Order: sequence, then C-alpha cells, then structure tokens
Amino acid sequence: MERHVDHIVVVGGGTAGWLAAALIAARAQGEAGPTLQVTVIEAPDVPTIGVGEGTWPTMRSTLAAIGIDEADFLRECDGAFKQGSRFDGWVSGEAGDSYLHPFTPPPAVAPAALVKLWSESGQPFADLMTAQTKICAAGLAPRQREMPPYNGALNYAYHLDAAKFAGMLSRHATQKLGVRHISDLVVEVEGGENDHIAAVHTRANGRIAGDLFIDCSGHAALLIGDHLKVPWIDRSDVVFNDRALAVQLPVDEASAIASQTVSTAHEGGWIWDIGLPRRRGIGCVYSSQFTEDARAEAILRDYLALAAGDAAQDLPLRQLRFAPGHRTEFWRGNCIALGMASGFIEPLEASAIVMIELGLGALLEDFPADAAAIAPRAARFNALFRYRWERIIEFLKLHYVLSRRSEPYWQAHQHRVNWPERLEDLLTLWRHRPPSVSDFPQSQEIFSAESHQYVLYGMGFAPPQDGQLPIGGLSAARQQLAQIAQKTRHFASALPDNRHYLSALQPTPPSQPAALQVTQ
Amino acid sequence: MTQHAILDPATHRDLRVRTDPSSELGDAVMACLAVPSEFRRLSCDYPIVYRNDPDSGSFTALVLFGFEAGENLYLTDGRWDASVKPLAHAIQPFLIGRSKDSDAPAQVHIDLAHPRVLSGADGVRLFDDKGAPSPYLEQMIEMLGALDEGYREGRAFFEALERYDLLEPFSMDVTLTGGEVNRLVGYHLVNEEKMQLLEPGALAELHAAGHLLPIYMAMASLGHLGKLVDRKNKQAHG
Repeated sequence: MERHVDHIVVVGGGTAGWLAAALIAARAQGEAGPTLQVTVIEAPDVPTIGVGEGTWPTMRSTLAAIGIDEADFLRECDGAFKQGSRFDGWVSGEAGDSYLHPFTPPPAVAPAALVKLWSESGQPFADLMTAQTKICAAGLAPRQREMPPYNGALNYAYHLDAAKFAGMLSRHATQKLGVRHISDLVVEVEGGENDHIAAVHTRANGRIAGDLFIDCSGHAALLIGDHLKVPWIDRSDVVFNDRALAVQLPVDEASAIASQTVSTAHEGGWIWDIGLPRRRGIGCVYSSQFTEDARAEAILRDYLALAAGDAAQDLPLRQLRFAPGHRTEFWRGNCIALGMASGFIEPLEASAIVMIELGLGALLEDFPADAAAIAPRAARFNALFRYRWERIIEFLKLHYVLSRRSEPYWQAHQHRVNWPERLEDLLTLWRHRPPSVSDFPQSQEIFSAESHQYVLYGMGFAPPQDGQLPIGGLSAARQQLAQIAQKTRHFASALPDNRHYLSALQPTPPSQPAALQVTQ
Repeated sequence: MTQHAILDPATHRDLRVRTDPSSELGDAVMACLAVPSEFRRLSCDYPIVYRNDPDSGSFTALVLFGFEAGENLYLTDGRWDASVKPLAHAIQPFLIGRSKDSDAPAQVHIDLAHPRVLSGADGVRLFDDKGAPSPYLEQMIEMLGALDEGYREGRAFFEALERYDLLEPFSMDVTLTGGEVNRLVGYHLVNEEKMQLLEPGALAELHAAGHLLPIYMAMASLGHLGKLVDRKNKQAHG
C-alpha cells in the first residue's frame, strides 16, 4: 500500500495547532504551489489557555520560515522583546536576591577559565559574561530598527499575547499558505490496524480522512490520549507545581516594558510577570500539596498591590489546574502529539512553545514521503523527546534544589529522594568543574551547558577549586571579558528603549511634533 | 539652516544621533572635504581631487561621491557602499569649535538642526546616565581631533603643491551608456609630468615633509573615477 503523505490533519488550534499548520504549509510551498494539504480542525469557541506567552529565540527563525514580517508580528500580537528570565527571591528570598538567565551565552572560550575569572571578580556571573544583563536592567530593546528583521545586537525572543498570536498564525496560514480551516468539533476518531488513524469525524463536516494526524487538542488529547490511550507520566514527584492563578494587568501606554520575564519566588512557588505593550500577564504558580487556593490568591493579590496599587484589586483571576508530566510516547502510528496534549509543566523556563517548535523541526527534518514510512520514525522521535522532557525536568528542578529558602515547600525540594539521579550526579561533577558541552552532548540540547552555568552561578553555587592541572585559556577568556565590557557600554548607548521601539511600530498620526525643540 | 552649540553633558544628556546612512540625513552630497593625512585610507574607495577655493585662493582636497549636486553614488538602498568615510563627513553632526584665541583647545560643537540629531529614543546616545561620553561620542571626539590635526597639517601640503606648481585644471566628460553627458569641471589634479621633472632636492624636500605619500595616493585614487562612472550607469539603467 504505497501512498504519498499528502493530507495532514491538525486537530486543535491554539498556538500548537496553528504553529504546526503554518510551519508545515510554509515548508510545503513548492515552485508549482503547495505540495500537500494541511487542514486544521478547531473546536469553535474554545479559548486558548494563554499561559505560554514567552518564547525562545528559536521563534525568530520559525516566524521567518513561516514568512511573517517581524514588525507585523510585534504589532499584531502585542509582542515585546524577551532577553531572558530574571529570578527574584529564589536563593534566600531576601532583598536584593536576584539573578538573570540571559539568552546571550558567555563567550565561546573555556568555561573553566571564565568561571575562574568570575570567581575573582566579585561581580554577578551574568553581568560579566554578557552585555545583556545591563541592557535588560536599563529596559532597552535587543535590536535597532535599522537592523535586518530577526537580527539583533543580542540574542532575543518574544513575549506575546497567545490568543492574538494564534489568530495571526491562523490568518496567515489560511490566507497565504492555503491551510484549510474547519471550525467544528471532533466527535469520533476512526482507527485502523496498528494504531493507524484513518479519519476523524466531525459534528457538522462529517468524515475527514488524512495521512498524518497532529494532535494539538490540548488537555483533551483527543487522539493521543482518548483514542490511542498513550499513558501519561506524572512528574509531580519532582516538580510539585500543579496550579496557576493567572491575571492580566492593564498598563499605561507610557510605562516601561520589561526586557525579560520576571519570576518571583514566593513561600510555595513563584509568580510569572510578562510585560507586553498593553498589559502585563501575571500568574501565581503553586502546588496543591502545599498551598491552598485562597492563600495563592492572597499571595498574587499582594504582588499585584505592590505592582499597581489599588487599581489591581478587582482584576479577575483565572485558575489553571494541570498535572505536570508528559506522555510515554509522542508519536504513535500516524499520530504526533504537540503542545499540551503531549506534555505540560510549569512555565518556569518557557519550554512549552519551544517544544512545539522542536517537535515540528524533528518532523520536517525527516518528513515521511510515504504513508508506510510514518510509523518507523516514531521510535526515534519518541526517544528524542523523552530525552528532552528529562532535560527540562532536571533543569527546572535545578532552580529549586539550589535554593536556601526555609518554607516547607522549598525544604521539600531539598529531599534528595525526589531529585532525578542524573541531576544529582551532575551537581557532584559541577563541584569540580563547570557545566560543559560534554554534559549535554545532543546536537539540539533544549537547555545548554551555558544555561546551566547561568542558573548555577546565578544562584551562588560555589565555583570549583583549582585542580591539579592549571586552567588553560585564561588570557583568551580575559580578552573576551574585556571586549564584553566594551560592548556593554556601546550597546547601552546605541540600543533604543523597549517602549519607544514598540510604540514606533504603531501606525503614526499624520503630523508629528518636531523631533527636537530648539530654544533660541 | 544650522544651529551650532557647544556640546555639553548637562544640556545634551538625552540627545541621540542617528548613524544609519540615508539621503534624508544629509548623505546626499556629491563631494566631501578630505585632509592629506587620510588620503591613504580614502584612496581605496574614492577619487581624490583638488579644488581652488575662490574666496581664500588656496587649494583643498575633495573626495567625489557623484557627478552633480546632491548625487551620492555610494549610497544605495540605505547602505553606504564603501569601507571608510572621509572624516569631515563621518563626524556629522559634530563640528570643531575654536575660540578667537587660536591656542585654546578646540571644543566639540554640535549642529542641533542637523537631521541626524534626535531627542527620541532612536539613534545612539552621546552620554550615559552619569553624563560620561558614550563609546560613540568618544569615537567622534577622536575623529574630530584627527580631522583638526589633518586640516592644520594640510596647509603645508597644499602650499608645497603650489610652490612647485604641480596642480593643473582638470575636466572630465562622463558619457553614460544612455548617451547622456555629464561634465566635471572646476577641479585640479597633480600633473604627473611635472612630478617626473622635479629636481632631486625638491623631491627630497617633499619626501622629508611627508608630502610624497599623499601625492601618489591621490594619483592612484583616480582609478575610482572610472568606477564612479560605472556606479552612475548602474543607477541610471538598473
């Protein structure tokens, strides 16, 4: 039964569904038009969850590949620049307890030399390793308007309004890329032999057959869960958080826009704070084992009062309950699960959207031409994504195990019984040398050795003592750090303010006041 | 219209300068002053010619960007297609200010009416939050110093060219592939034959004063006249 893969059915819209449809359709634009058909079946009136509002720098190449203009994207999705994540109160909870995990890595020289020079400097690790720390603190954009789209002076990603993002992707996919949009409910999945899905049946549009099905139905997991019964692995033993209370705080049009996600630790979890041009998305993440809903609300209300005073007291909160974890498999038969249908974890390092991009990347990199070639790819895909989920969970756990906070929730994170074994080994290793590429050997590691360095040394992990062998590459490292100090001054004077950059993208009124008032 | 002011961190703390090439920002010019100390650098990209200033009667040097007023053939699609720019152009919107007492140190002036000067958040800052010069301003100050020095040292160079009567008027007809003719007039070049006939003593003097190098650099730079015609043809006919 030789058959081309020429109809891809995406079940579910949202960020996952529309990213999948747009990226596959964009890749399928041949010289003589689209080489395959993509259909999105989106349930009408289902609001998107809207927690994944922070991306990774990968989103720049993803948007470019889809064929979306960067300025249009920022305008239509209320987008802003994200240059990293700042962690406030994670180490001790005392005043001044703050560190940045920036997107720009340290210079590409021997990590041991960099760590040695840092340990002698008395400065925060990230301040020394990249200009980005100071640029973020000053609320500056990572790029100048004159730079080519999707390029910056510093590595960057985006904050965005998830509902608007899905809307923009949907418009682009249907109007420019020939994606078919069916607004309907899937009522039945028609299976075949060997976990093959032949078609889905919808309420109003009947039977929709396809060669490859992508399950982006979120929590419902209509294909991978409901139909294929792929088990879910609960990881709440390692990462405890299973609830979030989210709120949107409108902001003044002239207010500063933060250059990074701010994650502020509280007694039983943390609060995300994502700055967009018109609002801040704020959410309190906690664990139902440790914190009552009412207490979480009080914590969030306190944070809002500090951020915005009385104005924020009556804002409506939305609760989100989730089981932290992932499927045992993400690809079975001719079905691939992306987004929340495949796994979900607290949004601490914004792994949700990048995992969708990585899933699509792996699919498109080795796209099955023939229906018979679909299933054999599953094993490799599943091994890769099981590996990635393990790395995400370890990396998130690292943020908790390095804390010295004393509340029961934080103390529970100190119990080694719930540490992943590999993480414990790595921490032992890192007492003697910094995280290195050899600890993260995959070609596309989800969190690099550099990311681990930023968290480790940002949280005050002791730098290694000098070993028997002298540290090499010190003079090259010294040179690089001097260049970064120079670059920092240069960028601080050349990069525009975030708010100014983003406001200027809005259509301007016809007559503008003179740029400069000169008094005689 | 210009509006010159002495640059001062207190008054100009929040000023920014746009540094991208653009005809709207004052880059649409056909020529720019060049000083002999930068001939070597400029000769890689531009033709260097001489001109007699009718007011002072003395000679200066120019690099050519185009063949008619307002034409800069190096400026295409928001890009300046050369690796270097003459100092006198690169320092805009800054100027060297000098009080009547010519021994007093020069000051950095800024033309507040220059289109590159903004008070918004685009462009490069001149001062950091503490009022210290930004790396960009530091670079500008360095270039202003080099220009000032090059200009003052240049006087001896042009006097020597006159003393040995090395310059001769030059005009050039530029015929485009479309048949249109542009004529360059009013410029001077060094006459190569006169150079050849210089006495050893004169040569030694020019050499000792460091004038030989810029003379030959300017001669060599004339190869760019042909390339400038090519640029013009390309712009006219895509």
